[in-house]
Amino acid sequence: MLSRLHPLPKLVVCLAWVTASILVFDARFQAATILIAAAALIALERKSPLVVAALMIPFALFGFGFLTTSVLFRQESDFALRMAGETPFGTAAFSAGIVLFLRAVACGMVSVLFALTTDPGGFIKALMANWRLSPRIGYALFIALHLVPDLAAQAQQIRLARSMRSGRPPRRIPGPVETASLAVPLLAYAIRRASRAAIALEVRGLDGRTRTITAAPRLGRGDAWFVAVAICLLGALIATLR
Amino acid sequence: MPDDLVAWHDLSVRYPYQERDAVGPVTLSLRRGERLLLLGPSGAGKSTLLATVNGLVPGAIPAAVGGKAELAGRDATSRPPAEWSDTVAWLHQDAEQTLCGMSVADEIAFALENRRLPEAEILRRVNDAMQRIGIPVAWRDRRTATLSGGERQLVAQAAALAQDAPLFIADEPTAHLAPEAAARLRTLLLEARGDRGVLIVDHRLDGLIRDIDRVAVLDADGRLFAEGEPRRLFRTHGADLAARGIWRPAASELDEELCRARIALDLPPLSVEEALRALDALGGMCREAAVAGVQSFVAGRCPAPSPLLDRESLVRLTDAACAPLFGPVVLRNVTLDVRDGDSVAILGRNGAGKSTLGATLAGLLRLRGGRREGPPGGMAFQNPESQLMAGSVREEIAEALGRTVAKQERLQTADRLLADWGLAGLELRHPFELSQGQKRRLALLALVAADRWPLIVLDEPTAGLDAAGVEALSRRLQALTQGGRALAIVTHDMDFALRTCSRAVVVGDGGILADRPMIEVARDGALLGQAGLEEPAAMPALRWLEKHAPC
Repeated sequence: MLSRLHPLPKLVVCLAWVTASILVFDARFQAATILIAAAALIALERKSPLVVAALMIPFALFGFGFLTTSVLFRQESDFALRMAGETPFGTAAFSAGIVLFLRAVACGMVSVLFALTTDPGGFIKALMANWRLSPRIGYALFIALHLVPDLAAQAQQIRLARSMRSGRPPRRIPGPVETASLAVPLLAYAIRRASRAAIALEVRGLDGRTRTITAAPRLGRGDAWFVAVAICLLGALIATLR
Repeated sequence: MPDDLVAWHDLSVRYPYQERDAVGPVTLSLRRGERLLLLGPSGAGKSTLLATVNGLVPGAIPAAVGGKAELAGRDATSRPPAEWSDTVAWLHQDAEQTLCGMSVADEIAFALENRRLPEAEILRRVNDAMQRIGIPVAWRDRRTATLSGGERQLVAQAAALAQDAPLFIADEPTAHLAPEAAARLRTLLLEARGDRGVLIVDHRLDGLIRDIDRVAVLDADGRLFAEGEPRRLFRTHGADLAARGIWRPAASELDEELCRARIALDLPPLSVEEALRALDALGGMCREAAVAGVQSFVAGRCPAPSPLLDRESLVRLTDAACAPLFGPVVLRNVTLDVRDGDSVAILGRNGAGKSTLGATLAGLLRLRGGRREGPPGGMAFQNPESQLMAGSVREEIAEALGRTVAKQERLQTADRLLADWGLAGLELRHPFELSQGQKRRLALLALVAADRWPLIVLDEPTAGLDAAGVEALSRRLQALTQGGRALAIVTHDMDFALRTCSRAVVVGDGGILADRPMIEVARDGALLGQAGLEEPAAMPALRWLEKHAPC
């Protein structure tokens, strides 16, 4: 359902929730944000709860750094401690750490919600059609999207060639030395591909002038409802916690 | 002239820091409604010449340009290359050079959007192009990054056709296509239209040449060496083209053999079938004389099968499930035996799993099921750059020789091998600076020099090579098999497979469709049809011989 929405109102809503997560220093607000984002992914987008939980892991690891910093270096966290002074989580330092931890996860989950429910092509088209993103930048982003899987395929072929010379099958995940040694040939490949792509875009007529944009996402009544509901929910949540 | 769509007047191009011109001076033109084939050996500057048509050289690719290129009566440099997209549609050898990473429909619409056509017109053209190329409607919203190489090529073709530009430029458009897909492209590309000119560079001439109005040939120095209507040009210059390592149709070779047998057909043929029909119309005496010529033609393209010796199995796959690195299984229940001295062609459609089978035979990919027995093999990848790792050509070979020998001795051996393989003078160059043909040769030499791999797998070794390069490669591969090495060759080039391989494995429908002597596969029309392959050009001549000279 969220996938069918126009990317730009969705982006505005997500940015509003991320901004609120940063400004509202209350663990209950952050927790509610995480729950709402996860529930939307599970209920509206039919994502597996396990996948949603797994997606939280990198943000949780990132947030864990705030938690430990806050607990171990409480003198440097004076502002956060004063903000968290009235929260119900044990010591003030721990409370502040929890809020910072949940804030990282909340911002991450809102970003995940946007990324998982938005077609990158539709998003870039919407930016070009509605927010006057330069086509040169828009199509550079398209090329970059295309380049990622091709770089991975190229890296695999280089690894196969090297494993042939060494007589050992390639490891599933390359080690740090192997990764570093892939950097130069992959960079050379990326530069060559990017040059060719730039020429191809020019040959097909891309210049800085205005152009027709077909099948750009269009605003609908559903987008208005989504914005209204999401902003009301955000307002209600902030009001309830005051 | 007003009818000239493209005109080059004494045009020459020299890239920065180069001592000689990449092409030219060339004076040549393409008229409206004409289909012009541009031929020449590797490095003759064909692609450079094409790039001057819309001012890409020097507009986007810096170079010193002498003379003048005109498009639709205007100086090609009078507009930026992007603005010429209303006049020129390009189809590159590699779809990666064309596609931008959007959905299929967006890719096809891209150039039309840039021309600011109305949305309804764009949608109509997109639908029409998809239908003509045979792209399923279900692909419309698929990202091109999720398509196979052959499927991406189809999208690139549809994108170029949708432009419906007065000039269509195709630079080796069939190099990576299976024969069936290549034939479909040729039909669409070369349909006769009075309002469209076609400028094409290609190496696979059989099937293409019948729809070509005029041929222009560049020599190794990038100068125009011959030009004219195909029949007469190949009759007059056929032997010279072969001597210069330039591709020519199989019919031209047959015509030359017939002339040598003192049979000069009234109309120089453009296809082997056409030549044979003309021979059938001759009297009995002449036909008998023609047999020697046809025999000589067939012998050059279809060597006599080597006697089946009881050789030992080198690599054996038993009930193997083959998958690309970290990808899903694409071939199941593969049971295959490669023996010492075997040369096996691996044939099939784009995306059928040929490269995966080749890498599995070499032991580079782990099986998902079944068993592989035998020593590891070496593989020459489709993109030779993947396996070139040293800082210079000489070091590449010296490294491959192994470190058991003193460095000075290794360097001397490397220089000797490089000279043997026609790479002398390039010893100090970085491998990436070489031409595509030279890179392929270097990658193969590195495998052979290592002397570690009794089985060598080659993935599309002829792509981008000129006739001389393919001829030399074929000779080297035959020498390797005679030395006892086993070869597995993944290829779309049926003529090369017939000339080089004694056996063929046909891949399709998620498994092995056939594992038989190459000549039997080439004769099996039903199998070729099922696997999307075309019969080699020599087969009609072989059948003709069996009818007229059964002994």
